[in-house]
Amino acid sequence: MIRRIWQIALAVSLLAVAAHAQPNEIRKSVARITNTAQEPNYRVPWLAGPLGGGSGTGWVVGHDRLLTNAHVVSNARFLTVEKENDPKKYIATVEHIAHDCDLALLKVDDPTFFKDTKPLPLGGIPELESTVAVFGYPIGGERLSVTQGVVSRIDFRVYTHSVVDSHLTIQIDAAINPGNSGGPVIQEGKVVGVAFQGFSGDVAQNVGYMIPTPVIQHFLDDIKDGHYDRYMDLSIGIQNTLNPAMRKALGLKDDDRGVMVSSVQSAGVCGGHLQVGDVLLAIDGHEIASDGMVELEGERVLMSEVAERKFLGDSVKFSVLRDKQPMEMSIKFDRAWPYTMQASAYDTQPPYVLFAGLLFQPLSRNLLGAYQFGNERIHYFYDFFISKELYKEHPQLLVLSAILPDPLNTYLNEFREGIVEEINGKKIGTIKDMAAAFSEKPDFYVIKFIGKGRPLVLERSAVEAARARIKARYNVSEEQNLESTETSPAS
Amino acid sequence: MRRILLSALLLFSALSPLFADDEAKPDKVLSIIRVNVTNQPWDFARPWGKRPPYSRRALGTVIAGNRVLVTAELVANANYVEFETPEGGQKVPAMVDVVDYEANLALLKTDDPDFLKPIKPLEITTATVGDNLSVLQLEATGNLLTTHATMTTAEVTRYPLNELPLLIYRLTTPLQFRDSSFTLPVVKDDKLVGLMMRYDNTTNNADLIPAPVIQHFLTDAAKPPYRGFPRSGIASDQTRDPQFRRYIGLTAATPGGVYVTEVFKDGPAEKAGIQSGDVLLRVDGQAVDQDGNYKDPDYGKISVTHLFSTKHFDGEKVKFTVFRKGETMNLDVPLAHRSVESYVVEPYVIDRPPKFYVLGGLVLEELSRQYLKEYGNDWMKKAPEEFIYYDQQQDNLFRDGPKKIVFLNRVLPSDLTVGYEDLTHLVVTKINGVPLQSLADIPAALAKATDGVHKIEFDSEPSVIYLDAAQVTAEERSFMQKYRLPTLQRLQ
Repeated sequence: MIRRIWQIALAVSLLAVAAHAQPNEIRKSVARITNTAQEPNYRVPWLAGPLGGGSGTGWVVGHDRLLTNAHVVSNARFLTVEKENDPKKYIATVEHIAHDCDLALLKVDDPTFFKDTKPLPLGGIPELESTVAVFGYPIGGERLSVTQGVVSRIDFRVYTHSVVDSHLTIQIDAAINPGNSGGPVIQEGKVVGVAFQGFSGDVAQNVGYMIPTPVIQHFLDDIKDGHYDRYMDLSIGIQNTLNPAMRKALGLKDDDRGVMVSSVQSAGVCGGHLQVGDVLLAIDGHEIASDGMVELEGERVLMSEVAERKFLGDSVKFSVLRDKQPMEMSIKFDRAWPYTMQASAYDTQPPYVLFAGLLFQPLSRNLLGAYQFGNERIHYFYDFFISKELYKEHPQLLVLSAILPDPLNTYLNEFREGIVEEINGKKIGTIKDMAAAFSEKPDFYVIKFIGKGRPLVLERSAVEAARARIKARYNVSEEQNLESTETSPAS
Repeated sequence: MRRILLSALLLFSALSPLFADDEAKPDKVLSIIRVNVTNQPWDFARPWGKRPPYSRRALGTVIAGNRVLVTAELVANANYVEFETPEGGQKVPAMVDVVDYEANLALLKTDDPDFLKPIKPLEITTATVGDNLSVLQLEATGNLLTTHATMTTAEVTRYPLNELPLLIYRLTTPLQFRDSSFTLPVVKDDKLVGLMMRYDNTTNNADLIPAPVIQHFLTDAAKPPYRGFPRSGIASDQTRDPQFRRYIGLTAATPGGVYVTEVFKDGPAEKAGIQSGDVLLRVDGQAVDQDGNYKDPDYGKISVTHLFSTKHFDGEKVKFTVFRKGETMNLDVPLAHRSVESYVVEPYVIDRPPKFYVLGGLVLEELSRQYLKEYGNDWMKKAPEEFIYYDQQQDNLFRDGPKKIVFLNRVLPSDLTVGYEDLTHLVVTKINGVPLQSLADIPAALAKATDGVHKIEFDSEPSVIYLDAAQVTAEERSFMQKYRLPTLQRLQ
């Protein structure tokens, strides 16, 4: 029994039929993707997680590639693709995967797969109220399914795959179901979107979402150099300047223009350039209205949409009013945002250090999901990690997530869920700092936790004596993994 | 946002009739009266007003000196208190004489000298584990309902309103529900051993405020002004782990002891020179074990907190023996009560209205646990996470100030606050460049407007907003009328 993939809460999948054009050619170019996946195991990180998987939809792009959603092929161990009217199962591999915009490009090694297919051309943004058709392999049958709907609205929305990223999204009212994920949404013979998420039936009816072509094109352009660099981000907060007193204090005229910079992440590309209190008047020549919107190709969109269209190495120009003095500023996107622990992670191995039966793991959304910590300090450090720039002191927050009981650590339970501050007087900023501290040979390892007055103390001789015993008793194959390395993609 | 004030105290499940002995003994009836209270707490979400009043009926224990003892929770934010005779229902106005919310005790009195005269006061005596006790309730008729129970436990634990742990007596018995089942007296041989302050109808456990705490309260109350239960001003942690004991240099020659993890700023221990990292070995000559207990002659092993909080009074010095870097030393700690006002996030605000300042529609308040508790029983989960963290970690986070956390609760929209309508739960750090230590700093800060504009800074987005200073003043009156505010500020 194949599980059809969709996103929980925002259930995925959509698919609709092109009103006209050549439906037969489209049908030939839409494939079912079956993924055998293995999730990372955060509770026992030296072991692999349970096998799972499901199926979704993909379609031919370029001359010999398939495009689908990242969530269809995440954590893949083995991928197969099938076409209608072809009995064969073809083996596929992930060539590029973009978890921040839920898209992936697959390679099929056997060239005969593409014999009858035709690459589907990309269209533009469909008009509101226009009809689109969704193609895919949703639940309810084995063969290709086509449903129709109209474009309901165009908006910025959270992409549930990573949870933290928002991009342009188009809502349609076509029936979407699990398995539609990754399928093309067609209008006049061209792809105008990729069906990717929706609501489960008990939340909302006839609400489906697709990734529009600007996001698809951005992904395809990004990988042209053979590497996916991720979306660029300004990493600033803005405050509207609707208030007359605020406009006066900032030196603004009564012309409904400009937004005030309300926060600047020091780790972001604007850190060191923009300041809180600066007024942004224009971005790349587009006037910014006092509510933060700009006009792009006739549409009023958030000014962040301008940054959305950039790539690594590009620049953005701001017209700024600082202390009432106008100035121009150019900011280069020289790096993607580095601190992503609040995003769902895929295709990674959980990093950890096991020492004296104490399991230390960097705090992340995945870790929280696995352990459901109740500790208020963990929640505070997680939620305010970026807004309060806690990453400056602790780029990673190392949590004592579990203890493998042993005579060595039997009195240490009260330290569980603590966040490590320092070891033997050295600040612990990353898991590598921790591994380095534990590789030293002091008489005592003294671990200080944030906000905890009593340190955790381990005698080196006792730790060494217990090491083999703990490894054997708990079947520990590796005592640490310091990198969230990509597992080799399915092949 | 839904805010629920939690004030459920004693909830008795009705039903399940049990062994209650209905013999009315007139001499006992004479020591209890009914106490009717109308409470009206302030509304911390709308701090200029109060919530609707509600009334409760309780039992009061008559003690020597024509006074009546009840739990403090009963009279929290009381607008009106009256005594009522168990039979006949005669009533007389009463008032709160002394109240201690941390110990959960209150003394009531009446101006009518004759009302309590015919009632025989109860003496107070202590009890120990295994004693047979009787819980007293009144039937609607005024007959006495007595439930017998054995005392199972004496321990030092949290009281409902504060973090200060004090002694309790615990007994386990099913109790019947009766009207006015608040503040039930518990007696042994016709003497008061405690007042019931908590009852859990799933486990049938009842926690009593025990005689030693009551006696401490009464002794303190006899010498006004009332000072409150003293504390030592440290936090400590157990020292069971042998690796840890070896690390801090404790050998077999120095058994027991607790590790001092925090010494609170300006507290008694800090004044005496105790440092974090010290190991507390003895208090008042009593050995402290590795879990922080000592051997009490009446109750066996209980927390050493009992020694300094209940066996001593504010102002008394107690000898602490500490182990520091291989040395043992004696330090005299001048015990003192910690006033609720000395907290950055005050753990309770009762009988006092919340302070606030409405600045052009921005409702500014000082953060208190009382405010957080408006989020209901699970306020720890529902209140803003940042504020919960500040409350729970305040002794760590604010050693260098501020004195209070001023925050923007919400915005009452008007033309002054266009663009700010959605701002809520933001910590205010400065007004017109002046750092705020408390709400009291606001009037002086407002005098420093630049170019006719007030600048208000927050510790998070939007970081800064502005208000037109002249307009704020000019529109005060119309603003008060529009939102029916009786006043725009309360800073005392």
